[in-house]
Amino acid sequence: MPSLEKSHPSRSLITVPLLRRESIGESYHVLWFDMPEGAPAKPGQFTMIRGQEWGDAPLLPRPMSYLSGGTTPSMLVKVQGEGTIRMGRAEPGEPFMLLGPLGNGWRAHDPTKRQVLVAGGVGIAPLIFLARELVAQGQRPVLLYGGRTARDLPLADDAIELCDLEIATEDGSRGLPGRVTDLLTKWLSSNVEVFTCGPDRMMAAVAQKCALTKIPCEVSLEAPMACGFGICLGCAIPTAGGGYLYACSEGPCLDAERIDWDRSAGLLATASKGGVK
Amino acid sequence: MTSQSVKVGQLTFKNPVLTASGCFGYGLEFDDFFDVATLGGICTKGLSLLPRPGNAPDRICETPAGMLNAIGLANVGVEAFCTEKLPTLRERGVTVIANIFATSIDDFVTLAKRLDCETGIAAVELNVSCPNVTHGGIEFGRDPKMAAQVTAAVRAATKLPVWVKMSPEAGDLVGVARACEAEGADAITAINTIRGMVIDVDKMRPKLKNRTGGLSGPALRPIAVRMVYDLVGALKIPVVGIGGISSARDALEFLLAGAKAVQIGTASFKDPEAGRRIAEGIAAYCAKHEVSVEELIGKARVEG
Repeated sequence: MPSLEKSHPSRSLITVPLLRRESIGESYHVLWFDMPEGAPAKPGQFTMIRGQEWGDAPLLPRPMSYLSGGTTPSMLVKVQGEGTIRMGRAEPGEPFMLLGPLGNGWRAHDPTKRQVLVAGGVGIAPLIFLARELVAQGQRPVLLYGGRTARDLPLADDAIELCDLEIATEDGSRGLPGRVTDLLTKWLSSNVEVFTCGPDRMMAAVAQKCALTKIPCEVSLEAPMACGFGICLGCAIPTAGGGYLYACSEGPCLDAERIDWDRSAGLLATASKGGVK
Repeated sequence: MTSQSVKVGQLTFKNPVLTASGCFGYGLEFDDFFDVATLGGICTKGLSLLPRPGNAPDRICETPAGMLNAIGLANVGVEAFCTEKLPTLRERGVTVIANIFATSIDDFVTLAKRLDCETGIAAVELNVSCPNVTHGGIEFGRDPKMAAQVTAAVRAATKLPVWVKMSPEAGDLVGVARACEAEGADAITAINTIRGMVIDVDKMRPKLKNRTGGLSGPALRPIAVRMVYDLVGALKIPVVGIGGISSARDALEFLLAGAKAVQIGTASFKDPEAGRRIAEGIAAYCAKHEVSVEELIGKARVEG
């Protein structure tokens, strides 16, 4: 039988037990899984994860960025709805189905530049994974981390070991009062490159600042998705020049310039309030 | 193993499990997970004459035991399908049902003629039931006269078997199906999604940009089983059952109701290997009961 050329030869669906769950405050959890088989994830890739015992509801698996890879991969979960509530209550040994690793990870860093990572809330996960890899390659990245309050900065203390950390909170409860984009301005120079993950509005603002100063900016997209590998076509993101790309298969990490931030979901209302500009 | 093959009109499938249009891409995307040629067949993403980019996001959201989608028939177009996807499917021995969509009868005819030039297509399935596009789609599938016109025109344009996919929103489902049968449809696929809406109470607006989307998933299943049961009782041509199947037992409900084959939709999203798993489960059930699949078909039908 002739074989197909496989674009993602290493992705697979594996049922594995939860190894450990660690709560961070009220809204966040880190879940570790025991996964002796399967391809290791690269920073920026994601998995579709679903409890094997969930039955028919919640129906769909949840897309989650890897916080770490290897044979005991982990994910940072923010409790937001039915699926993440269950993940936040899961006990060691509970079986989960993990489909992955999926999507494109962060592009290779430029060793001649300093990496500035810009994170919003739970968007920290793929950036911590990236930071660990950068440190292993002799870099010392900068991490600009924003949240609404000090409680919305999971893993901030873990990041201190890896990065030069600067924090902004909207209520001023930790770090600079204001937005993470306010921290970014002084770092924008020709010898940096930016990697960002967080709410759409934040990434749009980061992307715009980088575009104006011609600094390379890589974003990690989030979008509703049912399958994670290019079938459901739910995760459409408007592209510069018209049409759509799919966050699962063309992202989640890609060059910010490929995206039409004005047409992206949730941005129109923000733009009219002047939030983006 | 007992015989798993089923006949749908003139066509013989190696087993009764097909994958549904819109939930299996063009088949090749599943190659990492299992050999799709082991399935009874696959129905392609709905093909249109020209490529379509689809609707603005958000396009999907989850619902209790289901999901809404308003993808808007994003697809590569019939030409790219024939030149870029079909040759590999043919080489791999995958049984392909080409699902087609158009906004006019003329375009349906052009699509059918284009596919008639290709080898490796087992049947065409007319999507006259898409709820998520402004023109065409469901308009053809709600009205027996229009459904009959589309069926007759495509029937005359192709040598391939013609399947017509029903909308559960047809007021007179049996009437629409009978009209298609009278114009030479070879099989009826039932059912497509049914329109629903979810409101985001924080943003105070519908979750989907399209406002409404087609409901699929297990929540739909009892409605689909009932409709298949009704259609099988009213038609001479075979019925292919679809709607919320995610296990072998779900699929068996449709077969026992009289469907000659089933299609797996949303289940492939949560488990890419759902089709393979369901086909194996049906075979195990048949072995346990020492029956062939054909012997099961319609077995739950009650006389009188």
